This record gives sequence, structure tokens and C-alpha cells, in this order.
Amino acid sequence: MKKFINDPKNFVNDMLEGILCAHPKQLTHVNDDRHCIVKAGPKRKGKVGIATGGGSGHLPLFLGYVGEGLLDGCAVGDVFQSPSSDQMFEVTKAIDSGAGVLYIYGNYGGDIMNFDMAAEMASMEDIRVEQVVAGEDVASAPKGEEGKRRGVAGIFFVYKCAGAKADELASLDEVKRVADKAAANVRTMGVALSPNIIPEIGKPQFSLGENEMEIGMGIHGEPGIRRGELRSAEEIVQEMLPPILDDIPIKKGDEVSILMNGLGATPLEELYVLYRTVHRMVVERGIAVFNVYLGEFATSLEMAGASISVFRLDDELKALLSTSARSPFFEQLTIG
Amino acid sequence: MDTLCKDDIVAMIRAIRSTMEEQRDHLIELDAAMGDGDLGLTMVKAFVAADEYAASSDLTDLGKLLMQAGMTMAKAAPSTMGTLAATGFMRGGKALAGKESIDGADLAAFLRAFAAGIKERGKTEVGNKTILDVMHPAATAAEQAAADAVAPAGVLAAAAAAARTGWEEAKGMQAQHGRQAYYREQSIGKADPGATAGLFIIQAMLGAVESKEKS
Repeated sequence: MKKFINDPKNFVNDMLEGILCAHPKQLTHVNDDRHCIVKAGPKRKGKVGIATGGGSGHLPLFLGYVGEGLLDGCAVGDVFQSPSSDQMFEVTKAIDSGAGVLYIYGNYGGDIMNFDMAAEMASMEDIRVEQVVAGEDVASAPKGEEGKRRGVAGIFFVYKCAGAKADELASLDEVKRVADKAAANVRTMGVALSPNIIPEIGKPQFSLGENEMEIGMGIHGEPGIRRGELRSAEEIVQEMLPPILDDIPIKKGDEVSILMNGLGATPLEELYVLYRTVHRMVVERGIAVFNVYLGEFATSLEMAGASISVFRLDDELKALLSTSARSPFFEQLTIG
Repeated sequence: MDTLCKDDIVAMIRAIRSTMEEQRDHLIELDAAMGDGDLGLTMVKAFVAADEYAASSDLTDLGKLLMQAGMTMAKAAPSTMGTLAATGFMRGGKALAGKESIDGADLAAFLRAFAAGIKERGKTEVGNKTILDVMHPAATAAEQAAADAVAPAGVLAAAAAAARTGWEEAKGMQAQHGRQAYYREQSIGKADPGATAGLFIIQAMLGAVESKEKS
């Protein structure tokens, strides 16, 4: 294992200390616990607070989306581990301005249990909490079993739209409605070329042969749907994209936003090589591309690989996606 | 003795703590065979925190006391079983909100809410080889005993007997949750660590009431 680390046990703490030192005007922490990250500066009265949370090892997911026009707080767990319900509860208290709090997080057992618990703790202090659990990885469960799907990079679209809606001072129910709608309209699939290494474990989580790839692998190394010989970028996209588009389905005449995401060790050059085919295939199907996000949005430490997310737009989602947003990890000017 | 007072509830939590401390290594061993081995540590952490809280609390509302003890456990032991046990106490306590003394029917209500809380939070069902396979029959037996107007000690004795049977039955089940589920049929025949912790909780509650009756 070659990594820039100190004591592996302190990996997450050291990372959080670095982030807080680097971005003091944008991020701070509460309850004397760096795992409880919130937006710096005063709360906006009447704005619904939005919190997320999850394990470390996925930057910019999850805390990277705490910022203007995005989320208000994030509970940070150890590598690939859920944060505690208490950390979530502390974030909840810190970001509530009286309008209630929406939790948006990925569909993983530990996170669900702890966010449920945090919501119960919040209700005991009269803070209203609603939850949206995002799960859009089409490789993780078949159509008809959407509730079992893992949440991966596509959660970005849910954050972006919910954040924009909350900024309009919409009610908790309205922000939740938009988040649910965004979650229902995004689909993702990933492919891995090489494994990640959890610092405290020190060796790869799984092995992939020199010439192998695994289609559909999750962002914690969860098994995919097909392991096989590495193919050309074109062939890989030809295998991955149709199940994404056919799932909702996304059809001729639809308009989409596309997220071409790197899993940690894949260069931008290769992501553009993949995107070339994604774009051609989408356009060939008569689907309009509204905009494209390309880069690292949800990673798995040093895993080489990529994921493709397609977000089907309507006028409301398009308007919410287009507003400006700013965090230390993501910035966009108003589109259009 | 037909009702339990605050001292009895505090003693019950103290008894659970002592049991977990005594059984720490046993729980670690059970859990290490199929999980990550931290259950003994988790349960000790959770109930030390609950005990310290209950012993120093000046609340007279026993439901609230149990609920707050659950909150304290959640903070002290944020793992799966810590969260489930904490949920049990929070929900069980909620069912007794406003009570300053507790009778047999209240104990049954506590156990029922405890079991329901675990079922909901753990998203599980009876028969999946979990702590629910102990808490659910215990709650049912407690309700039956309470319907016959049995005193607290009798209600807990019925609950403990049913819990023991449930624990035995869970041994024969195949694990569906957590790391244990990866072992599939290899899990059959082995005691479930969470169910074992649940059995200890009920046995300790009974022990606390019995030792008071003897004194």
C-alpha cells in the first residue's frame, strides 16, 4: 500500500482537519466533533435545512456538497462506515432554522438505521425531519426492486435540485417532493478496473486481473453484474448505457443532464473518451443533452473506473439544476 | 409487590450492566465467530452509559427516564446492536411516558414497544435469527401473564422463559442480516450474538426484581 497517510486509524480525522483548515469560510464543525460538518456563517431563517451523511472514502461525496445552493450539513463516518445517529442528530440541531430538516442519503443499511434514529431523536426535540433515500444504481437490483438499489453518483442531482428548492424558502414538504422527483428520474451504472484500499485494512478489498473489468460494481466494491475481459471504451459504454436509459425509460424527445464520473484513479482524458460514445448514443436515440458534468463527483478511494448517470429533466428540474451553487468541491454559475 | 418504583428501574439497568460486564468476553467470542467481534464491547459501553445516566437522573417520570437512558446508549454505542438496544429503550420508555410506578401490564407494554422498535429500526421480521426472535416471544408471554393480572416478577419470569425458548429456536435459523448473513447455512446451529444479548437483558431485568423480593 502506497498512500499519503499518518496513523491509518486517524485517516478520516486528519482528512477532516485538512478540509476545515483549507476552507474555513465555507465549512465549520459543531459539537466539537469534526465529523459533524456544517456550512459556515449564519443560518437563513425559514430555510429548510438539508443534511446528508455517509462513510468516508468517496470525496467529494458526501461533505463536498455542503455549500451555497446545496446542502447545509453532513455527518461523516469512517471509511465506508455510517456516521453515528448522534452525529447526525448534532448536525440536524445545528442546521434547523425552524422550518425543519430534510435528510438525503444513499440506500445503505447502516446509514438508514442511523438516520432513522437521528430523526427520532430530533422529533423528541420537536424538530420536524423528512427523509429521501436515494438508490439509482441499475446494476444493484433489477427493475421492480428499485427499493433495493444502492445510491451512487446520481445523488448529486438530488442534492442540487433539493438545495435550489430550499433556497427559494420552499416548505419542507415541497423540498422533499422535489428531492423525491429528482431521485426518481436519475439512473446510474458503474464499471471498475482496479480495486481500492481501505487505509486501516491496508490491502485491496478485492482483486481484478490485469486485463479484467467488472461492470456494475458498487462504490464500496460491491459485486457487479459481469466480470470479464477489458474491452474498448466504446464497447464498455455500449454495454452500460442501454440499461440506464431503458430503466425509467428515457426516450426520444426527452431532455437529460449527464454525469460522467471518475471513481478515483481514472484520468479525465479517459472519462472524455468514454463520454464521446455516451454522447453519440444518447443523441442517436433522439434524446437532447441539456448539460454535462464530467469529473469526480463520487469516488471509491483509488479505485480506477467510472460511472455514467443520466438525469431526465422536466421544466421544474431543469430550472432547479440551473441555479448557481458553490461549495469547496463543486461550483457552477447559473446555466442559461 | 405489585408495582415497581424508580429505584427498581435503576436497579434493573444496573443489573443489565453487570450482566453485560460479566458476559463481555462471551459475547465477543460469539460475535467474532461470525461478525466483527465488537458486540461485547458495544453492550458494555451502552449499559455503562445507561446505568450512569439512570443513577444520576432526577427524573420521576419513569418512561422519560428509560427513554433518556436509550438516548444515552445511542450516543455511547453507535454500532448496529447499540442502536437497536437504544431504540428498544427509547420506544419502551415512550410507551410508559408519565408513569411514576410500573405494574405488570406496563412491563409488558415496555417489552412490546421494545420489540416493535427493533423490528422497525432493524427492518427485520421474526424468524431471521436476530434479537427480535428473543424480544418478540418475551413480549407476547409478558402480555399473556399481565392479562392474568400477574405481578411484575411473574410477568418478567414468563418473559424470560419465552426469551430462552426463542433464543434456542433462533439457533436453528439461518442468518439474514449483517455480516453473519454472508455465512448462510453455516450460521445454522450457532447462537445469534444479538439474540443472546437480548436474552441477557431480560434475564437481568428478572434477576433485579427477584433479588429485591428476596431482600
